[in-house]
Amino acid sequence: MRVVIVDDHAIFRSGLKADLDPSVVVVGEAGTVEQAVEVIAAARPDVVLLDVHLPGGRGGGGREVITGSAALLATTRFLALSVSDAAEDVVAVIRAGARGYVTKTISGAEITDAVFRVAGGDAVFSPRLAGFVLDAFGTAPADIADDELDKLSARELEVMRLIARGYSYKEVAKELFISIKTVETHVSAVLRKLQLSSRHELTKWAAERRLL
Amino acid sequence: MTTAPVRPPLVRSSDRVIAGVCSGLAVHLGWPVRMVRIGMVVAAFAGGAGLAFYGWLWIMVPTADENAKRNARRPASPIAPAVSLPPVSLQSGPAPDVVPFPPSVPPPAGEYDAGTAFQPPARAAAPGSGTWFRIRSMRYGKEILLGVGLLLVAAILIARLLGVEVPLGTLIPAAAILGGAAIAWMQLDETRRAGLVDKTKADQAGGWARLAAGLALVVAGVLVMVSGSGSWQQTWLALLASVAVLGGVALVLLPWGLKFWRDLETERAGRVRETERAEIAAHLHDSVLQTLALIQRRAGNEHDVVRLARAQERELRGWLFKDPARDAGQLSDRVKAAAAEVEDGLGNAVDVVTVGDTEMTERHEALVQASREAMLNAARHGGGPVSVYLEVSDGGAEVFVKDRGPGFELHNVPHDRLGVRESIIGRMKRHGGNAAISSGPDGTEVRLRLPADVADNGEGKS
Repeated sequence: MRVVIVDDHAIFRSGLKADLDPSVVVVGEAGTVEQAVEVIAAARPDVVLLDVHLPGGRGGGGREVITGSAALLATTRFLALSVSDAAEDVVAVIRAGARGYVTKTISGAEITDAVFRVAGGDAVFSPRLAGFVLDAFGTAPADIADDELDKLSARELEVMRLIARGYSYKEVAKELFISIKTVETHVSAVLRKLQLSSRHELTKWAAERRLL
Repeated sequence: MTTAPVRPPLVRSSDRVIAGVCSGLAVHLGWPVRMVRIGMVVAAFAGGAGLAFYGWLWIMVPTADENAKRNARRPASPIAPAVSLPPVSLQSGPAPDVVPFPPSVPPPAGEYDAGTAFQPPARAAAPGSGTWFRIRSMRYGKEILLGVGLLLVAAILIARLLGVEVPLGTLIPAAAILGGAAIAWMQLDETRRAGLVDKTKADQAGGWARLAAGLALVVAGVLVMVSGSGSWQQTWLALLASVAVLGGVALVLLPWGLKFWRDLETERAGRVRETERAEIAAHLHDSVLQTLALIQRRAGNEHDVVRLARAQERELRGWLFKDPARDAGQLSDRVKAAAAEVEDGLGNAVDVVTVGDTEMTERHEALVQASREAMLNAARHGGGPVSVYLEVSDGGAEVFVKDRGPGFELHNVPHDRLGVRESIIGRMKRHGGNAAISSGPDGTEVRLRLPADVADNGEGKS
């Protein structure tokens, strides 16, 4: 598993490198938007661990790195890392194309797990991101007539709620009597909706938080 | 003009008799050195013109070494180094497998060293040839203008020598005004001028018309003043002239005014930033620095360090990410405050995620108290981090408190322990809600639900 770490704090980069499982090889590091785009294009990693806040570029931070590496999105997955609680930061990188979001305080084992999950094509949702999603899409389930992208289905809502409550994917699967694979499918569907939806409420929600 | 770029630059050569002027000139023009030298000597006898020319070139033309040094310091494109740099850095060899922390891209120093000093700069700057030619033509344009002006002056002087009557009284003021305007515009450096042209839309017909009108006014005004010699309607004319001059001068001085205005703006923005910085510094000093000092003194006690770090993190987050537009004292704030209290008291991390929000009521107060009790239990018995999820919808408010402790059986709890039975379950029931506890080897979750009553309906979700 080849990863690139993008973070402007050298101390955090080295700490994260030491924390990661030996099966994860760090093939590059970058501290600014420009460096990140260059290093990612050169190293072509499986996963990029991307800080949301980065100096350089046009001030777009992690979002700008993803748009700058748009050509690689098919082979390289982005996992957003942040200390920020601000919804605008998190949702902006997700909508740019990141496959997940975790906080910087999580353990090395958890982050390794997240890296493998993202590399396998799944989405990684922290409780907080699940909270943002529920906030943005509303907690009422979709009618069948509704546009699929604009609301979460009843099952997706259940999954998001359990994740927001601190359940792991395994625990969610057990609670809902479904397989882990199904949980992952639901989470990926939610991620897709979050990235593609142009629903009125979501736009409004985003505009209020200066996302668009 | 189009053949000019292939000429070697005009530099003084090291192959010299006096100062290397003639051989340098010969290389530049592609003529034999001998011919240039003979021409120079011949010209020296023509009233000293050759001497003057030689001396002028000696002073103005750099030596080959100086030229190389000066060129090396200049980035490939003087106006937009940021635009022209990436191609340079990308061409620097194949990327290694392990990419180290890339250093900030240095300016392409040494692009022209002494060995390549005679290469035309246009060839070296090939990647950005479009911009390069524009800059080039601009540079030469200035020189050509100067040359045309000097030639005109020479022509006028010769014409006077030959006895032709030249209206110097008209030409000199006109030249002075044009020169003044040109100097005024040259005060602005290149980027400013571009910005100004952009801002005032001077590249459009209206902008040019305004500029031309200003210049015409200046010229007309001054000419009228100089040549107006007491004919009819003298007062009226003088007035008109003065107004014209003032209007014209104002237009010509506009760039200066704008420049000063901009500098003033920059300075003001700098002061605002400075104030902001001071405020942030004060806050960091009062909170973060104090905590860091405390952490250093308690470095031996891991529990204390974690607790201090968590408390400080919470405080800083509140300060950084708080939405100033939102009212304080909402249900989510109270739940977060309760979580902070538990975190401070017991040292376990309590992560709160909230969806929706509502005003506090007496019943919500009960919900907060029950949540707090559940968090305390989770921290005390679970031992690890605690997850709290609050969801407020039209149907009511729900709180979930989850830990990953060993779990417990409710009926095993002694009857005299009031924590779970009274403070959580009983309290919720009294306020029209309910509480459920599920516990297993993977942890315990307390679910509190407070349905919205009739009075609460409609103001559920904010």
